[in-house]
Amino acid sequence: MKEVVLRSENVNKHFGITHAVKDVSLEFYRGEVHGLIGENGSGKSTYCSMLSGIHSISSGRFILEGKELHVKSLVEANMNGISIVVQEMGTLSGLTVAENIFLGREHKFMHGFIKDTAQMNRETQQLLDSYGLNRINASTVIDNYSFEDRKLIEIVKATYFEPLVVTIDETTTALSQKGREELFKIIEHLKETNKTVIFISHDLSEVLAHTDRISVLRDGALVKTVNSNEVDADELKRLMVGRELDNRYYRTDYDGTVSDEVVLSVSNLSVPGEFEDISFDLHQGEILGIGGLSECGMHELGKAIFGGSYDRTGSVLLPRKGLEITSIPEAIKHGIAYTSKDRDNESIVLAINIADNITLPSLDILAKKRVLKKKELHAFAQSHADRMSVRMTGIKQYVFDLSGGNKQKVVLARWLGRDSDIFVLDSPTRGIDVKVKADIYALMSELKERGKSIIMISEEILELIGMSDRILIMKNGKFNGTFTRSVALTEEDLIAKMV
Amino acid sequence: MNETISRFKRSKYFGYALLFGLALFFWAFFKILSPHNFGTSKLMANYLQTSIQYAVGGCGFYFIVVMGLFDMSIGANIVLSSLVGVLLSRQFGYYGLIFGCLLCGTLIGSFNGFLYTRLRIPSMIVTVGLMLVLESVAAYVVKLDPAGFPGKLTDPNILAFNHAPWNYIVAVSAFLLMAFILRFTKLGTYFNAIGSNEFVAKAMGINVEKYKFIGFVLLHFFVGIMALLTVSYGKGMLAVTGMESMGRNFKPLMGTFFGVAFKKYGMPVSAIVIGEFIITLIFNGLVALNVPTTINDFVTGAVLLIIVTLTNRGARGSVVK
Repeated sequence: MKEVVLRSENVNKHFGITHAVKDVSLEFYRGEVHGLIGENGSGKSTYCSMLSGIHSISSGRFILEGKELHVKSLVEANMNGISIVVQEMGTLSGLTVAENIFLGREHKFMHGFIKDTAQMNRETQQLLDSYGLNRINASTVIDNYSFEDRKLIEIVKATYFEPLVVTIDETTTALSQKGREELFKIIEHLKETNKTVIFISHDLSEVLAHTDRISVLRDGALVKTVNSNEVDADELKRLMVGRELDNRYYRTDYDGTVSDEVVLSVSNLSVPGEFEDISFDLHQGEILGIGGLSECGMHELGKAIFGGSYDRTGSVLLPRKGLEITSIPEAIKHGIAYTSKDRDNESIVLAINIADNITLPSLDILAKKRVLKKKELHAFAQSHADRMSVRMTGIKQYVFDLSGGNKQKVVLARWLGRDSDIFVLDSPTRGIDVKVKADIYALMSELKERGKSIIMISEEILELIGMSDRILIMKNGKFNGTFTRSVALTEEDLIAKMV
Repeated sequence: MNETISRFKRSKYFGYALLFGLALFFWAFFKILSPHNFGTSKLMANYLQTSIQYAVGGCGFYFIVVMGLFDMSIGANIVLSSLVGVLLSRQFGYYGLIFGCLLCGTLIGSFNGFLYTRLRIPSMIVTVGLMLVLESVAAYVVKLDPAGFPGKLTDPNILAFNHAPWNYIVAVSAFLLMAFILRFTKLGTYFNAIGSNEFVAKAMGINVEKYKFIGFVLLHFFVGIMALLTVSYGKGMLAVTGMESMGRNFKPLMGTFFGVAFKKYGMPVSAIVIGEFIITLIFNGLVALNVPTTINDFVTGAVLLIIVTLTNRGARGSVVK
């Protein structure tokens, strides 16, 4: 009988209207490596963030060694025996390697208010050496090391104090083969010393090879927990997807034919470290879906098409106009619209009102003889806000008060106002409720009918299948599969090319 | 071989080599152009004495600048703390001068920090308001001088800090104190952590508001020390109004820029001190060449920008605030 070290009971997490984690009850055994898998947005990272004190729990509880956990920060979680290596950069610039590793736990080296820095550096160096990372100097400022080295330092930070449970959240994608081998050695060592590892990864072969059991989450809920040696990758994919295509909101036509006229031509586009040698054509009236895992490079591709990426090589051409797009102002001037996945930081200005957000890219058109007339600006904003049915108290309402869906409507209203011809929509329905989703899909269909062209970048497979005329799947910065619109197209087909 | 070079390039020795190289370059440049009016050993000692007072203020500034904060009231604090020091020196001699400057400076810092953390208004706005308040208070304080010499250090027996060795002793003590705080207390780590990513710093259990408050207190404690040197060098202080005190903010801030730019080499204190010396060298070199003040300011500012840009250039597309 295996001993349960950690269990969750009916854990829930709400972000506004989004129910990110739904009643998840799970058990983790002492000394096991437990895989946690699911599609993007299935709630894996949120579940582990609650366990680690990064996010608060909406309801439910975690019980560690029989005691309920009440942690409000990573340090508190560490003190209770829980640690996490996060998906993004988890180390802090400006601090030395040693300071990063012991951040929040300096008390060990404090004599009164004096910190024994030399001892901290010595101990950190010994730690790094014991992990085989003797090329890293404990007293050097961490900015001097590569992303991979910083990730390895983070792993040392998360494991050196021998926590009971270590979560490794989608870390392998940041590591080279050598780095991965170092990570798996650490995981093996943790297991041998009777620690529990929660391993999150999209690489199913990796999950199958290095875990004892696997739990599958879908839409925030637990689907099933299986023994790793009793399943294969296909079975895991089926569990991850496990539902019929829900087509209530999507296009019902399956013709998929589009005009021959190319409105945008992307040739040999590359951004170092993100994607390489991407070429494709976008036709008039086409909805082109681009899908893949979060880190496959598709989000950066959207930015690059819009002229928003630095170090870009290759070309983005508008064949009709015989123009090349090299910057954002040029893209906007020539009818390209873009909505970012990171809506609050890259798409919308939270600290100004709806009217100003909508008129922002159109001021050059609205300014007659360089003079802006408030009345005209407001009329313009009002008409486009009404067209998108933005739920608001008025166009002077500040955007930060709006829900995610209404913020997205404001973003789209802005580009409709500009009368753009090509829409690059990155994750257009991310974190949006069903009603607004339906509105956005209806708008996309309407734009298509009017001859506008859309590149829809999405992590939602159903959305890609339901809305696209053609789907390009990216994996590790390259195209890995092309699908044309068809009733027969399944989620499994797309997943097979993603993972 | 490549690994050794790359290790050297990220070590503090590389940082020192860069800074001393720059100092040597500017010294040689102006020495060639103005061999008699610039760079003699006596003049170099003068430049050093001038630069250390700014470097003390620059050290204080560093505590909040690394957290992404700013303080416009430094100059007003220098004026007010100096005047309070002078006033108290009438009765208590050195004790009055020293504690007047340091205590007044620190109290103002506590007040700034308190207002910033409580009001939750950007530091730039809070401290502009405070600058105006402090200038007005300083104008009032000069009227309190019983000796009838507003702001003047009249007693020749309390001028030890306007020359060696005491000015050096005070300044070096301040530099050592800053180095100690950064290296041997949690404060340095936490200030950097907050500046790097406030959200992560909070998640690591750091009380961000508390450490921002402490940052302001430390800044103004160092400003108090700078006030002690400034009032001693000038043998007094004039009260100014109408934001005129703001001009005193920028020389210490230039040193801070060097500190931030060379932070990655793990030697911010040395970078502030040597950086201020380089700025003073350039300034005096241009004076030796009879360059008008406006052009002098232009060249000094441009050189500062070039040095900081070259040593601390962000990645293309990175957000720089």
